[in-house]
Amino acid sequence: MAQAIVNDEVELGARVAGGPVLVLRKGMSEWLFLLPALLFFIGYQVWPIVRVLWLSFTNFQLLSDKPAQWVGFDNYAQALHDPLMWASLGRAALFTIMFLPGTIILPLLLAILVDRVGDRRLATLYRVILLIPAVIPSTLIFVLWKWMYNYQSGPINHLLVNTFGLFTVQNAPQWLGGTPLTLPAIAIMEVWWGLGYHTIFFIAGLAAIPKDMPDAARIDGANEWQVFWHVTRPQLAPIMMILVVLRFGSAMAVIDEYLIFGGFNRASPTYTWTIFMYDQAFKTGLWRQGYAASIGMIGAIAMMIVMVGLIWIFRPKG
Amino acid sequence: MMTLEADRADTNRLNEEPASSVGTAALRHVVINLFNLAILLPLAWVLLMSVKSLPDAMRGDFWPKHFDFTHYSFVFHRITTLPVNMFNSIYVTAATVLITTVCAVLAGYALVHIRPLGSGLVVTALLVSLYFPVRVVSIISIYQTQHWLGLINNTSGLILPYITLQLAISILIMRSMFQLVPHEMFESARIDGAGHWRALWEIGLPMVRNGLVVIFIVNFVAAWGEYLFCLTLIDDEAKRTMPVVLAAAQGGQGQWAWPNLAAVYVIVVTPGIIAFTLAQRMFFKGLMEGALKG
Repeated sequence: MAQAIVNDEVELGARVAGGPVLVLRKGMSEWLFLLPALLFFIGYQVWPIVRVLWLSFTNFQLLSDKPAQWVGFDNYAQALHDPLMWASLGRAALFTIMFLPGTIILPLLLAILVDRVGDRRLATLYRVILLIPAVIPSTLIFVLWKWMYNYQSGPINHLLVNTFGLFTVQNAPQWLGGTPLTLPAIAIMEVWWGLGYHTIFFIAGLAAIPKDMPDAARIDGANEWQVFWHVTRPQLAPIMMILVVLRFGSAMAVIDEYLIFGGFNRASPTYTWTIFMYDQAFKTGLWRQGYAASIGMIGAIAMMIVMVGLIWIFRPKG
Repeated sequence: MMTLEADRADTNRLNEEPASSVGTAALRHVVINLFNLAILLPLAWVLLMSVKSLPDAMRGDFWPKHFDFTHYSFVFHRITTLPVNMFNSIYVTAATVLITTVCAVLAGYALVHIRPLGSGLVVTALLVSLYFPVRVVSIISIYQTQHWLGLINNTSGLILPYITLQLAISILIMRSMFQLVPHEMFESARIDGAGHWRALWEIGLPMVRNGLVVIFIVNFVAAWGEYLFCLTLIDDEAKRTMPVVLAAAQGGQGQWAWPNLAAVYVIVVTPGIIAFTLAQRMFFKGLMEGALKG
């Protein structure tokens, strides 16, 4: 409709003033509002990805004097033959499996509970508290939990050692720093972080369900679980799909957390494809950015394949 | 009107609830508050740590025996790079939020009410960028771009990649906000002789203010806490922003004793929480209207 109106205007303008120049000017001024956004979007999102794709076919090293040469698929072949590539992809997948169920199921449960709070003030208070972690910037969340998990002085180990006496100072769990506990520890932190935000997502979804649908089911004798499974769950399916796909994407591409909690030990469970890429691009030798680019593209493509699969699985049926 | 009806619906529902469900309701509040407690406890721990005396901090008890509020002045007077890092954070974040908001409002308006040829393509590209790990993969060539522009080790240079952190989602939010404004409102304004600029400024902006609050907060959170770009593009401690400094600081003795660290943390984290609490009504409305749909 709007498109038609705009087209009409352009044609009218051209006919009245009689010239393709005006059409062109009209077209340019129409794009004027999009220009600033597109400038940044293309300059710092589209172009860098295109450039990384190109780099992945070269032997470019940032600190090397020699010009980059086109090497075809050599980088990809090398990466795919490197066991570290597969191990690092597997670690990212492992983390995703640890993180994804908790970050969907807990908020869903919480949303159903908060949605039924009748007292308006209390409901608002609950939502504000739940959303506090969502307005704390990422790195500050990580720093907070780095302290929570601190081996010597963190409150979690203090609780386990001094309060409950489950461990001694010698054998208290070493949560961070590339130990086997690091990935679950990060997953717990991430679930904590996203809890409120995802709950709000589900509350919005619940608000969109007509109230008479669950009521009718209850009158027909359905218990609360049946109401949830047969009425609420199908209605929330679209929101759940978006959340699963988006969170799968963010979990597979985690990097800041691993940089802060893990470091560059290749044996660490936090050495995922993102860290592998970063290590090659900014730490190793002459900064092998061509090779790093191929690692990044392999990781991204692997992720995208699964995401398309997820979207296909969750597609609206019938 | 809407809220009145909703209120009445709620009271109806409460009244209809049989007596046996009073226990269920209590249980519900207990479970919700357990989650609330889990959220608030780590934050309370930091807040208390920032006002603990040094011996209390060493002992590790949750509630301090002696309160000591001097850590707040100490960190600003004695840690020389800290005010600089703080300024860097404020400056970079303010510029990022401002520029991204302007870009997103203009683009959101254009995508709904001007619709130049190819806007469909732009929307598709924005959506795809949400699913692709752009930030991680692009860091390699963004380093090169910044190098080429002479912006390595330049704090202002961070603003450029920061703008795009949440640009796509901001545009999509503004787009769904502007979809709620009838096209005729802008049309009639323009028939009255207003250009797109005036139509947007006088009619559009007041109607999308909840969405503005959302993208303000989203971009603030993204820029205020950004780590990867700042770590990679800036080498010099004094040119870095607060999050990178905080992440590198090891709690222990001296200037980075735990209470000092915690005081810095509280200073950095409080503005966002206060701003959000004040704007929460508009933020939730904005979320419900636009963000969750987009």
